[in-house]
Amino acid sequence: MARISFRLNGERSTVDVPGKMPLLWVLRDTLGLKGTKFGCGRAQCGACTVHLEGRAVRSCVLAVEDVEGRAVTTIEGLSESGDHPLQRAWVELDVPQCGYCQAGQLMSAAALLAGNPSPSDEEIDRAMAGNLCRCGTYGRIRRAIRRAGGREEER
Amino acid sequence: MTTISRRRLLQVSALAGGGLLLGFRWAGAAAGEEGGASFEPNAFLAVHPDGRVVILAKNPEMGQGVKTTLPMIVAEELDVDWRTVTVEQAPFDEARFGDQFAGGSQSVVENWEPLRRAGAAGRELLIAAAASRWSVGADECSARAGIVRHAASGREASYGELASAAAALEPPQEPRLKDPASFGLVGTAIGGVDNPSIVTGKPLYGIDAEIDGMLFAAVARSPVFGGRVREVDERAAREVPGVRDVVRIEPSEDPTWLTGGVAVLADSTWAAFEGRRALSVEWESGGGEAESSDELSRRFAARLEEPGEVLRETGAVAEAFARADRVLEADYEVPFLSHAQMEPMNYIADVRPDRCLLVGPTQVPGSAQGIAAALTGLPREAIEVRMTRIGGGFGRRLMADYAAEAVFLSRAVGRPVKVQWSREDDVQHDYYRPAGRYRLRAALDAGGRIQAWEERATTTSRYLFRGSDAPAWRTEVFPDGFPSHHVPAFRLEYAPTASKVSTGAWRAPGHNATAFVDQAFLDEIAASTGRDPVDLRLELLGTEDREVPYDDHGGPYRTGPFRRVIERARELAPWGRTLPPGSAQGFAAHYTFGGYAALVAEVRLDGAALRVERIVAVVDCGRIVNRSGAEAQVEGAVLDGLSAALHGAATIAGGRVEQSNFHDYELLRITEAPPVEVHLVESEESPRPLGEIALPPVAAAVTAAIAAAGGPRIRALPILRALAG
Repeated sequence: MARISFRLNGERSTVDVPGKMPLLWVLRDTLGLKGTKFGCGRAQCGACTVHLEGRAVRSCVLAVEDVEGRAVTTIEGLSESGDHPLQRAWVELDVPQCGYCQAGQLMSAAALLAGNPSPSDEEIDRAMAGNLCRCGTYGRIRRAIRRAGGREEER
Repeated sequence: MTTISRRRLLQVSALAGGGLLLGFRWAGAAAGEEGGASFEPNAFLAVHPDGRVVILAKNPEMGQGVKTTLPMIVAEELDVDWRTVTVEQAPFDEARFGDQFAGGSQSVVENWEPLRRAGAAGRELLIAAAASRWSVGADECSARAGIVRHAASGREASYGELASAAAALEPPQEPRLKDPASFGLVGTAIGGVDNPSIVTGKPLYGIDAEIDGMLFAAVARSPVFGGRVREVDERAAREVPGVRDVVRIEPSEDPTWLTGGVAVLADSTWAAFEGRRALSVEWESGGGEAESSDELSRRFAARLEEPGEVLRETGAVAEAFARADRVLEADYEVPFLSHAQMEPMNYIADVRPDRCLLVGPTQVPGSAQGIAAALTGLPREAIEVRMTRIGGGFGRRLMADYAAEAVFLSRAVGRPVKVQWSREDDVQHDYYRPAGRYRLRAALDAGGRIQAWEERATTTSRYLFRGSDAPAWRTEVFPDGFPSHHVPAFRLEYAPTASKVSTGAWRAPGHNATAFVDQAFLDEIAASTGRDPVDLRLELLGTEDREVPYDDHGGPYRTGPFRRVIERARELAPWGRTLPPGSAQGFAAHYTFGGYAALVAEVRLDGAALRVERIVAVVDCGRIVNRSGAEAQVEGAVLDGLSAALHGAATIAGGRVEQSNFHDYELLRITEAPPVEVHLVESEESPRPLGEIALPPVAAAVTAAIAAAGGPRIRALPILRALAG
């Protein structure tokens, strides 16, 4: 057991868990934040994507001891009231089908836009390549990122 | 394990936007509605005096959009402003709601009329309540967007104001339905009702659900199909912090219930996974080790040399082959496919001596309830089933094996239990799309016309695996499938191949293989006779609009609409347009479940490097209820079909699945996803099935394009493995 403190969605959070426990399960089972999803457990699908100091990381392979003292943002903290430009675009374009992968997709997309406010399609694909969607929402994901990046009408 | 305080939990909960601990309560424990009589003319809708309109979504939502689409039908006939509607997931209660399942693309089809009637009954009663209040004739009043008006006097009343009065009235037996020409909601594009919750990470899925006091369980299952637990050393597992118990699960007779294994129960998912890792289990062989993909391929080939069951024979087949100018023959093979839905299997059961609560993602809540009844001895009435949103179904969750595990374990330990599968569990213990081999022969005359079509198939039938009463060929091959009934002589023969590999339904069962085989062979016929592949299909269908018998579900079909989707795809692509060297188009079409689909795929081939650049999909599924959802189903089915065609293969070695996670069981990534241009045929007919319709022809359209681009004829999927040689 280890006592680990980190910033979670802007607030200080302290947990007493095994240090090797992946951040994903600390978020979900210990802290009750269910938005970050379990998909593969080995950084292959991106469903568990969160931000660590603003960078998109896979929380399923990130030991909680490695986030000690650092800042983590989850889908629940992406915006105050669900109105991040990406969240708005996702709803407007009706992106989700089953929806399970979408929190991870949004977190990857948000990290992309934070560093590159108006990415090209190639840049979108490259940044989103780690996020799987079995329902096949990729076309709408691209459009939604374009819209949030102010490139609405381009194809 | 955790020292987080209750206060802190509440803070986190507030931060998360609420809904931290999901309040799954026993039925009857819920607080009653406040504020006077609400109007609930049937199970599907309620209008409250404060004006709130609640519509219940009866079927499980797995991404096919029914949580939005079905309530839209009620709202249309009730005639309310969609923005005032709150949609709630109905509990499982088939006595009140009728069939509640998700499969066979049936939800909209089966519920279109009943839900229209439910909404219309509400509107009629609200109008009657207003007419009575104003002492005027009901036929002098009209309703629109939640308000009843009396045109002559200009009086109006909102549904909320009328709710209590309407509640006292007797619902009509035969409510008058709207003229579809006056539809204002049906046919428009409405976003999914859960979207705002999805994009903010609210707990919606089975994996997010919790019950107070529940344990998390991870189950070790025999890595080799058919194996059983011989011995368990659980000492190390019990020492893992958080582990509470280790329980052996006995396999059930029915292989779709309990496969058996050893469960580790713990305070958290992670502890359960770690505990399972520490288990040492010795497995007793069920004789599965001998099975491998290569061995299975050899058995398929040998099986096709033996006579099978003739499912359909029309015309003089032998004679046509004897007289043929030329005979074309090809063997096709398809691999096992895993479902690989994004949310791994999970389920919660709380078994008490006199009742049981089930919570989780399932396409078949009734099966979960039935299995729970059988395992516990409780009557179905004592088993409450709550449906959560499903993180992908695709047929995997037509099986309730993981629910059975939860029931078994909860009963064993006397506490609520959530069973949680890992991705490895999912990939290695699936009910796979059956593997199979198909031998096609065509007798061609001097003009290249098909005089006879013969198809001999063998697959690891899911009904055979299950020991079902249904014949093994059912949903493996289709005696009425195109081009049956369109060639002078036709013969279909089937022989099942026994396998220990568990098989089940995978989106568009059977059709996901036969459409590839039949359409790819048609493309070969067209190529070898120098004819245009689209023209060949149209020739076979003929110009007359006629009804064609089709004994699988969704039949009969008509040649007219089938022609129209093909012609429309040809026009929209447009078929035959000039592409750069190395690029080419491929065509395929399919009818099943009541829906027509035609696809044009464009690919670029650079050596063995393949890029699918564009897919045009035309679908006729009758009237569109939700345009956004309908287009999404086609976009998704096409990319799902492409994912399986390019990558999909669960291969067997030593009686076990060789793949274990997404690094070796690959799904299509965004970098490989072409734009999908969807065209839905405008139709005044009642809605027909949609969710599975666009998937079957994808593999054939892409392999046809590869051949047209100068690449090889790919007859064994997946495509990328074939191209890699």
